[in-house]
This record gives sequence, structure tokens and C-alpha cells, in this order.
Amino acid sequence: MGLSNKEKSLIISLIVTLLIFGWYFFGVFSNVTETSSGQLSFNNVIRVIILIAILKGIIAVFFQKKGEADLVDERDKLIDTKSYRNSYWALSVGVWFILVQLLFESTGIPFISDRFSLQHYIFSSPTYIAHLLLMFFVLSEVIHFSTQLYHYRRGI
Amino acid sequence: MTQQMLADKIGVTRQTVFAIEKDKYSPSLEVAFKISNVFEIPLEEVFTYD
Repeated sequence: MGLSNKEKSLIISLIVTLLIFGWYFFGVFSNVTETSSGQLSFNNVIRVIILIAILKGIIAVFFQKKGEADLVDERDKLIDTKSYRNSYWALSVGVWFILVQLLFESTGIPFISDRFSLQHYIFSSPTYIAHLLLMFFVLSEVIHFSTQLYHYRRGI
Repeated sequence: MTQQMLADKIGVTRQTVFAIEKDKYSPSLEVAFKISNVFEIPLEEVFTYD
């Protein structure tokens, strides 16, 4: 059996997320000095999120027009639950990493480097930490899509 | 009976019927009973445990 519309929609969503956020994070993390000084502002994040929302809307409308019913059955719900469980772990690892980093900063113990170095300034800046959080969020989304695809193709 | 007809009768998608046929998904008891009711045969004749 070929790909169902759900699988096609998942593949396109996964590619769109990887391409757009990959391009975005490449820009952010290849130029961390600008990122932490706020020059790469959150206007860019808003633009990327709006772009993703528009593209996902287009994908949803396209596949609805192709005639796939919106029926969600027990298998869809089970696959969704399993994929959310996996993506939850990625997100919680990221949040714990950032929490520990912030905890170290608040107690005055350098987490990554010397307190007065440039690296310390970069890695503890709120903009950098916000981008790191966003990165873990996107990573959990990617795991969510990938797990769904895996179970739709290989069974559950 | 087509996969779509069975899917409509038991309230799941055609992909789920396909997955059950291919041993890629074990349905809930509710869906299993619905399938046996549609074909009017006992549950153990529709499903076997390997």
C-alpha cells in the first residue's frame, strides 16, 4: 500500500520544519555573538513561526481537498499518544539542561566557562537561552512527526 | 466487502483496516467485536493469537 494522505502530510510537515528551522538555527548558532547581543531579534522567530503556521495550513487544506476524511480512530490516537511520549522526553531533557544551566548561573558557579569570559556572556544571555529552548521545542516536534511516521509505516 | 465498506461499518479508517489485515495493528476489543459482528462469525475465527 502506498503512502496515505496522513503520511504524506506528516512527511511534508517534517521536511518543512527541518528546512525552515534548520536554516533559522544555522543562522542563529553560527553567529552566537550577534544572537546574544540581540541583533538577531525575536522578530525573526515570529516570522519563522508565522511562515510555518501558513505552510501547515496550506498542507492541511490541500489534503482535505484531496478527499481524506477527518476521521481520527483508535489507531491514530494510539500513535499520537506514543509520539507525544517520545517528544516529551526530548523537550524535558532540553528544559532540564537549561534549568541546570540557569541554576548554576544563579549560584555564581560557571556552567560552561569562566564567569567573565565572552563565552559566559554569550551562553548566559536571555536571547541565547530562549533560542536554545526553542531549539529543544523544535527537536521535540521533529521527534513527534518522526515517531508518527515510523508507527504508520512499520505498525504499532 | 471492500476495506472502505468494513471501515465505515466499524468506525475506523481504511488504513486501520489495512493495518489489521497486515498484522501491523492489534485492534481494541471493541473494534474486534465489531468486525466479528459484521461478518457474523465468532471472534476466535476472525482473530488468532500467535
